Amino acid sequence: MEFKTASGRVEINPMRDGNMFHHENIILDIGQELWITIDSRRFKVHATKVRDDWWIHVLGHTLRLEMIEPGASGMDDEGELTAPMPGKILEVLVEEGQRVSSGDSLMIMEAMKMEHRIVASHDGIVDKIHYSAGEQVNQGAELLSLSDE
Amino acid sequence: MIKRVLVANRGEIACRILRACREAGIEGVAVFAGNDSGSLFTELADISIELKGEALADTYLNQEQIITIALENGCDSIHPGFGFLSERADFANAVIEAGLIWIGPSAEAITNMGDKMTARITMKAAGVPVIPGEEVEGGLAEILEVAPSVGFPLLLKATAGGGGKGMRAVHNPDNLEMEAKAAMREALNAFGDDRVYVERLLTGSRHIEIQILADSHGRTIHLGERECSVQRRHQKVFEESPSIALDAQLREEMGEAACEAARAVDYVGAGTVEFLVTPKGEFFFLEMNTRIQVEHPVTEMVTGVDIVREQLRIAAGEPMSCGELQMRGHAIEVRLYAEDPANNFLPCIGELAVFIPPEGPGVRLDTGVRQGDSVTPDYDPMLAKLIVWAPSRAEALQRMSRALDEFVVLGCTTNIRFLRELCDHPDVVDGWTTTDMIERLWPDGWTPDMPSMILDAGLLIASACETSGLGRQNSTKLVTAGESPSPFNTISRRFP
Repeated sequence: MEFKTASGRVEINPMRDGNMFHHENIILDIGQELWITIDSRRFKVHATKVRDDWWIHVLGHTLRLEMIEPGASGMDDEGELTAPMPGKILEVLVEEGQRVSSGDSLMIMEAMKMEHRIVASHDGIVDKIHYSAGEQVNQGAELLSLSDE
Repeated sequence: MIKRVLVANRGEIACRILRACREAGIEGVAVFAGNDSGSLFTELADISIELKGEALADTYLNQEQIITIALENGCDSIHPGFGFLSERADFANAVIEAGLIWIGPSAEAITNMGDKMTARITMKAAGVPVIPGEEVEGGLAEILEVAPSVGFPLLLKATAGGGGKGMRAVHNPDNLEMEAKAAMREALNAFGDDRVYVERLLTGSRHIEIQILADSHGRTIHLGERECSVQRRHQKVFEESPSIALDAQLREEMGEAACEAARAVDYVGAGTVEFLVTPKGEFFFLEMNTRIQVEHPVTEMVTGVDIVREQLRIAAGEPMSCGELQMRGHAIEVRLYAEDPANNFLPCIGELAVFIPPEGPGVRLDTGVRQGDSVTPDYDPMLAKLIVWAPSRAEALQRMSRALDEFVVLGCTTNIRFLRELCDHPDVVDGWTTTDMIERLWPDGWTPDMPSMILDAGLLIASACETSGLGRQNSTKLVTAGESPSPFNTISRRFP
């Protein structure tokens, strides 16, 4: 089974023995509650699935692991810049065809009463701008696309 | 006498006030926008009335509608909480003109303190030290003109400002025009007033504020300080009392200056006077907040004074009930935000599929949400405040660490882990907290310090639960199709 984590994709295939699962030196016991054993110490953990993501609480840490469906393409959403929140475009700072460097400000949008800068994730050329100043955007809307050189 | 209070607010602070009303034997009336239907605060009220309209201006900021509801429902008073209409002198006036009691200071006091530039001028006249800077009346051109004389780094501040909105630090003169425009635009959107003035940015200084209470019987007292230096985006995340930077003498001097500031505007009610304290121990007036403040609980914990109850007493014309104050122990508050500290603290939305707050001795949770609630982009991303009290600062930090470790929130990204790491950071442990400390400690942004064992355990749990179909006992509501979770973690980009 494959998951997307903050540090990239990870594959994991735990060993199963009834309600007990093993991986490395960790044992998970799934019953009414979830308990893990690490180095013979037992800890209660919490997990829940919201849409495609597993949310896990382990020893004061919270993880969000996105499940990758088997056979899904390995491509990430490189090259498109999406709205992090629903909000309003305040200013478009670039033009189509313009060359930009990683870190350049591309747009300013307002969401949750604060201004946010949308910046280039990599060097490239602005391919297409999908929204202009004053327009409302939904979360996840593709704001503009960047092509590599 | 106050018998029925309308609480013109939502979320955590509405809960706090409604609970105080219950304790005082006063009835509480909540007003809520349609998208707040079913929120916790509506349950804590004796009566809950839905506000008509959708935009903020038609609901929580709609003075006329709120006053009409108060009158129609037999309320005798309105408590504005913080934010929204709390520092609107016109609202205070309208409430009083409608024959209701305004639970707050006079409209004149709000006006004098609410306009940051007028406040600077009033404080200078009262002999309270203010930050070197320039009042600006002439817009962008004048900002560009006076900036060099104030010197860099400088801070642009919205005259009508608060909550970090319309506030920009400028380190490089080349960015001045861009930042000034952004600050003016933000100020215009947030406050309907784009005036911005210029102050010297005092780096390495602490943000320390004094809580005051003043009643209509001529008594004005201070309740000690709150150290609120740990901030991101000019918003506080970690507050404590007392501050280790103050000795008894400086505390008395600042307390007296705060009372002087309050007396200068004939202040009645609860208020906070904010100061910057430089490493040399000089202090400068920043602003006065003419309302209850987010971080008021830390003062309540160390003084034993219930500030909201005192507000109700003072508004009813009674003298405040607290006598000589005896400070005791140490209190810390952290603000639980729906935000991603690993992505420049951008707000997040999601669903609180699991929400298990910590318990145990010395732990207080002031929350506006509970399990099953959704976090939407409609309002401020602050969900709750976790407050601890312990006999000493070291023990309070240990207690906060323990409490944060117990706090389980799944389904929406929060800053819990960031707050937890703060509690162990040597600078926090040593009390070297300054307003620029987050940038100083994490110049390239914060990332969680996660042992590989934790990630392995997480992967094991997720894959095992997924394959077995077990372990979903905590899932609450069904997920609405078409809504996607907060994208901050799935798009691997930073939005500085």
